[in-house]
Amino acid sequence: MKQLLKYSFSICFLLSLLFVQAQEKTTTTTSTEQDLKITETKNTPPTKKNPEKKLGAAATDTIKPKTDRYGLIVGADINKIARSIYDSNYNGIAFTADYRLTKKYYLYGEIGSEEVTVEDPLLSTTTKGSYLKVGFDYNAYNNWLDMENLITLGVRYGFSTFSEQLNNYLIYNPHPYFGQSGLIDSGKKYDGLTASWAEVAAGVNVKVFNNIYVGFSLQLKVLVTKSEPTNFESLYIPGFNRTYDGNFGAGFNYTVSYFIPIYKKKVIPVKTAPKKK
Amino acid sequence: MKKIIALLIILGFASSSCEPDDICDPNTPTTPRMLIQFFDISNPSLRKNVTNLKVIGEGGQAEGVVFNPSGVDEAKYLTSTDSILLPLNTDADIVKYKFILNSGNKNPLLVNTDNLEFKYTRESIYVSRACGFKTIFNLDPTNPFTLSDATPADEMWIQYVIVAKNNITSENETIIKIFF
Repeated sequence: MKQLLKYSFSICFLLSLLFVQAQEKTTTTTSTEQDLKITETKNTPPTKKNPEKKLGAAATDTIKPKTDRYGLIVGADINKIARSIYDSNYNGIAFTADYRLTKKYYLYGEIGSEEVTVEDPLLSTTTKGSYLKVGFDYNAYNNWLDMENLITLGVRYGFSTFSEQLNNYLIYNPHPYFGQSGLIDSGKKYDGLTASWAEVAAGVNVKVFNNIYVGFSLQLKVLVTKSEPTNFESLYIPGFNRTYDGNFGAGFNYTVSYFIPIYKKKVIPVKTAPKKK
Repeated sequence: MKKIIALLIILGFASSSCEPDDICDPNTPTTPRMLIQFFDISNPSLRKNVTNLKVIGEGGQAEGVVFNPSGVDEAKYLTSTDSILLPLNTDADIVKYKFILNSGNKNPLLVNTDNLEFKYTRESIYVSRACGFKTIFNLDPTNPFTLSDATPADEMWIQYVIVAKNNITSENETIIKIFF
């Protein structure tokens, strides 16, 4: 069942890519509309003085000066919410924010909270805590006209504070002459644990309609600091996810976001120089 | 741009559909057995081989402790070396072992059984995600072992027992020295 759900997310990836495709198609149609507009304005009666020149100026004017909208893209991690519903061992929520600083750069922030019960073959733990990530996103996508899609490459730094509870465990005994001992209930709680990590992220954020975005991102992480509980180990870190023998980790976000426009900036076309005489 | 998308798809599939399998590496030091060495009573600094020793623990497998995993049938449970590794019970603070010398000998007069009982405390130590916890043992400081003869009494073959080390944390350190 879990496998199936995992694949369903893979399918979601593909679907989200279809959004990209769809978006590209629609923009081609809008560009033809734009062409029509231009031709229409060309048909306006030329004025007396210098018809030739005026026509040229009019043509450049009607190619509406492109405006980039600046603001905040606020999103929720749908993957975490969905998993909270179908996975009884998981409860989590996360919000992301991208604040557009310049044409290409965004300030990124993410805040989240998770409660996860990890059941390994020999031990079961419950980790509860919250995390914060800050960093930058670079939009590598060249938007045409009024498109506002993002293909982001980002760097972030994450912090997490959490508690870990050892629910139960088994003794690993390679020579069970007296038989294997049963599951030992522990319930021991390790409070006040912290961790921090650096991560690189790659993602796609597509404007599906109006100001609604759908996106996903993948992250590769490397632990920088980690407080180890005595006689135990942090097996899961909220925001970082599962820990491995090395310091590396991976993560995945599937987000639905809303763009809050704050101000607009005109993109001054390069050919405006001859306009002034 | 197409390349980026392709990379993302590959990464997406890779991360969404493979689950790392955690299997405890058999070479990881986990719950240790107790190392017992045999010495010559007439020359206590010299190690001495036992002959066809069989050790059976109370509550354990009735055939005895496997000393020779590659052996067939009875040979599995017999050893003729100068040291043995005995498992301790991870569920109790006491083990009772029967040490049978010359086990299986055709002459029943040569077969000699002594009882050796060990008392200890246990502690769970975290190993890793894959291996979980291990148990380490601490032999009781005042009364670590009790040596007694079998019933019906045959002469004791074990002459003297020394505790070399109380805490059993690895299989490399000699815990018990038996002189015979």
